[in-house]
Amino acid sequence: MNARILGLAAVLGALVRPPAAAAQVERLAGRLDERTRAAVTAIVDSVRAAGVPGDPLVNKALEGASKGADGARIVAAVRALAAGLARARAALGTGASEPELVAGAAALRAGAAPSFLERLRGDFPREPLVVPLAVMADLVGRGVPPDTAAVSVLALVRAGVREADLVAFRQSVERDIALGAPAGAAATARAASVGDLATTGVPSTAGQTAPAPHPRKP
Amino acid sequence: MRQDVSDGVLVRRVLEGDTEAFSGLVARHRERGLRFAAGMLGDSADAEEALQDAFVRAYRGLKTCREPDRFGAWFLRILVNRCRTRRAGRRRRDALFVRDEAALERTPSRRAGDPDWREEIDRALAQLDGLQREAFLLKHVEGLEYEEMVPLTGARIPALKMRVKRACDHLRVLLQEVNDARVG
Amino acid sequence: MHGSAEDPLIARIAAELRQPPAAHPDFDARVMAAVRRVPPSLPARAWTWLREPRILAVSPLGGLAAAAGVAALIVAGAWAAARPGRAGGRASIAGAPAAARVTPTPVTFVFMAPGARSVAVAGDFDGWDRARMPMRRDPSGLWTLDVPLSPGRYQYVFVVDGRRFVADPAAPRAVGDDFGQPTSVVTVAGGASRAAGGSL
Repeated sequence: MNARILGLAAVLGALVRPPAAAAQVERLAGRLDERTRAAVTAIVDSVRAAGVPGDPLVNKALEGASKGADGARIVAAVRALAAGLARARAALGTGASEPELVAGAAALRAGAAPSFLERLRGDFPREPLVVPLAVMADLVGRGVPPDTAAVSVLALVRAGVREADLVAFRQSVERDIALGAPAGAAATARAASVGDLATTGVPSTAGQTAPAPHPRKP
Repeated sequence: MRQDVSDGVLVRRVLEGDTEAFSGLVARHRERGLRFAAGMLGDSADAEEALQDAFVRAYRGLKTCREPDRFGAWFLRILVNRCRTRRAGRRRRDALFVRDEAALERTPSRRAGDPDWREEIDRALAQLDGLQREAFLLKHVEGLEYEEMVPLTGARIPALKMRVKRACDHLRVLLQEVNDARVG
Repeated sequence: MHGSAEDPLIARIAAELRQPPAAHPDFDARVMAAVRRVPPSLPARAWTWLREPRILAVSPLGGLAAAAGVAALIVAGAWAAARPGRAGGRASIAGAPAAARVTPTPVTFVFMAPGARSVAVAGDFDGWDRARMPMRRDPSGLWTLDVPLSPGRYQYVFVVDGRRFVADPAAPRAVGDDFGQPTSVVTVAGGASRAAGGSL
């Protein structure tokens, strides 16, 4: 499809696009060249009907623009993310919030199986799943085998561990890995200790329900 | 950070009396506005003044913004006019070469990229006819479609295309050698 | 698109011109100071009147053109209300995701860089805009910034001296950084129970 037709389609699309979506793609103005902008806009428009949110796609495009990536690479990344969000939506259900879809797509991208997302949603149809999904993505991204990470995270969530403790769990695992522990063993060991605290009722040392602050660089 | 509040919501809040909500619009459109104004008027205090002027006018006339969710396009039109007025009010010869001390000191840390190359570009832009420069910036820097440029400039598409083409031809002549020397 | 758009020199020129300049740090403050001096032109009461759905028999602005303008505003208002509410947005309706009712939490970004002249945060929460979130430096060279974030997972980097992208050494990395440069991730917890309201 040549760029001129894409461009015209973008303009016509803009005429029928609802204002909120128009605002979304307007964030791209001036940050991308016309051809890339048209291509990204086309992707955003085409997946909107499937329930895929546009903002994460626009953010991905802006990330690429800021990093000086060329148009083709940006379009490829947006397309990949759109597919990931769609898969996350299929696994998490149509009621999933935008942050859940973003975290779910990241987990899938990192190597989690769709069945993990489905099981999480099945066990917890009404809880927000952003943190368990994000922790899953971070663990697998850090080298923990997906099955091990899935078992750990599911076990902790089912044990009623709080979100802040899940984040602390992930931080501990990363520290252990940085200190030389094998990723899978670190995850299993930490999960066991956090799980113990949760089931015995001993207060967690990880803090309150506020998100764990970033550790200061020493 | 108001990233998740749309322009439309902010406009409506301002019109309901929440003046401070306008700062969200300023923050969101300041960068693009400055990029265009600096391209038209030179990277100087002039561009910031024109931009500030445009924002105040936008605030004053906000009730005439018919599509609040498209505030950006509406605001750009105001800015285009502000820049035209400024250019008309001074001699073009002096415009882009006036760099006060403060601007000289600020330039390296304010702009990523190559300052010398940028200066060459500014010099070349200064030599373009104003309407050609404007059309070039809107098309190739702001990435607008010709259809979108019509309401901003008051010109029709064939005229706009001619301006862009002439601007590109002229810039090519002025900058090809400089570019070759850099790349080679 | 043909001709100039394909020209590499034009593309180079445009790319250079597209670099977002940084306004003077006082810019926003100056604009708002000027804005506050402007007397209000449309009374809030009248605006509220305009937003309520009414038959357009009488328009306070008078005239067909004004009525068309008012109609456009009311339509735009209806669309805004129908958009799913998001955190911080006003247009929340029954059945909106629970995140719409959660207030953002301040997250502190920290970066040690004594030799830097400027450090900013660029990420999903600010449109990857290098200039928008400058951090504050303390005497020891530690840069910090508090950013209110709604629950979610955000990618970001630190931008040093306006041009160097550096991942946060204290944060997890995004998997498969798509653009050849490492990116950091921050996850904000705190989503309210989705069962609240019961109308999902």
